[in-house]
Amino acid sequence: MTFRISTMLPAAVAMTFSLGGCERGGSETELVERDWSGSEREFQLVDSSAERFRYQSRPAEGSETPSAGGSSNGPRLTYTTPEGWKEEPASTMRDINLSFGPNGEGECYVARLPGAGGGLLANVNRWRQQMGAEPLTEEEVAALPEKPLFGQPAKFISLEGDFSAGMGSAQTQPDYKLLGLILASDAGAVFVKMTGPREVVDENEEAFDTFTQSIDVSMN
Amino acid sequence: MAKRKTNLSPGNWPRLLYQFFSSLKLAMVVFVLMTVVTLFGTLDQVENGLHAAKVKYFHSFIVQHDLFGTIPILLPGGLLLMIVLFINMTLGAIIKVRKRWRGVGPLISHSGMLMLLAGGFITWAFATDGYMALYPGMKSNRVESYRNWQLEVFPLSEDGTADKAWILPPETLQGIESDEQFVATTPSLPFDVVVNGFSRNATPIPVSAPVAESSPGKEIDGFKLAPKKPSTEAEQNLPGCYVEFRPESGGEPIEAILWAGSYRFDPRSDPMAFEFEVDGQTYGAVLAKESWTVPFEIRLDEFIFEKHPGISTARNYESRVTRFEEGEEDTALEIKMNEPMRYAGYTFFQESFGPAGSNPGDEMFSQFAVANNPADQWPLWALVVTGVGLGIHFVIMLIEFILRSRRKPAAPPTP
Repeated sequence: MTFRISTMLPAAVAMTFSLGGCERGGSETELVERDWSGSEREFQLVDSSAERFRYQSRPAEGSETPSAGGSSNGPRLTYTTPEGWKEEPASTMRDINLSFGPNGEGECYVARLPGAGGGLLANVNRWRQQMGAEPLTEEEVAALPEKPLFGQPAKFISLEGDFSAGMGSAQTQPDYKLLGLILASDAGAVFVKMTGPREVVDENEEAFDTFTQSIDVSMN
Repeated sequence: MAKRKTNLSPGNWPRLLYQFFSSLKLAMVVFVLMTVVTLFGTLDQVENGLHAAKVKYFHSFIVQHDLFGTIPILLPGGLLLMIVLFINMTLGAIIKVRKRWRGVGPLISHSGMLMLLAGGFITWAFATDGYMALYPGMKSNRVESYRNWQLEVFPLSEDGTADKAWILPPETLQGIESDEQFVATTPSLPFDVVVNGFSRNATPIPVSAPVAESSPGKEIDGFKLAPKKPSTEAEQNLPGCYVEFRPESGGEPIEAILWAGSYRFDPRSDPMAFEFEVDGQTYGAVLAKESWTVPFEIRLDEFIFEKHPGISTARNYESRVTRFEEGEEDTALEIKMNEPMRYAGYTFFQESFGPAGSNPGDEMFSQFAVANNPADQWPLWALVVTGVGLGIHFVIMLIEFILRSRRKPAAPPTP
């Protein structure tokens, strides 16, 4: 079968026109007015972006404001504190804050964020960066081992190296170990992170599993 | 044999166009391209979801496909191919074809195929689909889109109500690139609306969260907007953007993050608007789902929900509703799974229920899928017409074969 130029010409013309039709409009437009009279809309008036984004912050210990995580009427987290571990005050970012080790040099906390909390990939790589490890690809993160958290499979991260917490901290802790679980979904993200000197973390790895498997939500 | 020279003078263009668009070669090229586009669209569906693949490959004039994920190639989109095929079939198989009695079958069959293509076009251009969610006792005529989000700006009264709004429609808002700045204006409002950093799927994250450090977005009121990879289920995407309200009278622009998650997800709740004040008037802004009304109201009288014993799977759910229409009698009816309500061009399917995790006995809402497609039944009739055409053609061919067989002289007897 042969195609002559005369036959293909109209096709080229048609393609040119269709390409022109695909261009997006300019970067300025006029808003369209809609009349809702007769079925006026109601809106919830809120005080802050946090409320508007359904983000429930957790006040530090001592605050009189009821906490989403600790209200006597609402849901709260329950857990078993492993033997030898010590409760530390919760903060706005940490629902549960624990320390362990001979001098309390190891720490383990539970944090929650709305949505996926920035995404699984970003959080795994943030932790890897803190331990001086190279970032992983999405496929490599997807292949990470899993451990149960709230009865669901959470990605398990285990890293050894020099730990730098970031967030303005320039101090680097040599020979550290990080154990972590990330459960990320569109409904919210939960992080359990344990850091400390490698030997201390190794001694408490079993306690970490016991602790993470004991975390639950209580409605009472 | 000498080649015939083609007359390319402008006066001959209509004839050339007719020859081109009615040629069988064009039909073959279109069929090959349709196969390729269908293959790529099907593969893309795995990565980006059904809706995104449908829009990119089949509802488009031109599509850019990355071969092996790296080599960009341009292909005609499904919409362009269907239009070309429609023109080609109309000219080639209906107009150009020689009219004779033995060609009646193919003529009817091709008419059926044209009807199928026309139905597809009408569906693409005019069909709507959305949902209506109601708790028992609630009445509404408003249908909301699953996927289309729009930006609404409105003067707010003190009690949080608004009776009119200015809208940046979904086709404009959702076409804004993440690195594009888009200005929307109206002489009716004393400010311009500037949209930046629109993302089809995003999450606001508090700047106190460690992950916010690596998020490039601007901090507004303690939050940054972190873009996320769009979900393969387009309905689950929650878009977000940065907006500035620039008063025409001068002064500092008012900045905000708008996020679709501030919209309502329960029929009883109200959207949470960003409030701001310009020239003494309070305004609200929100990312809201596109909505429209149907010409009658539906009240949910009762929602029946049963689970299989011991497991969380629903055994049965159905809705008892009353339909209200001005000048018509109120009609009580039931909408069940596979037993939709069809009325005034709209079809109400029993789709789902909520809130999530509800159990029998809980107060629950019922959700109806509401479809309006003027060409709803066209595929059925197109197939009937095509089938009739093929049947007629088969009968004609059979008769011709029998007649030919009878005309043949009998074979000489074998010795």
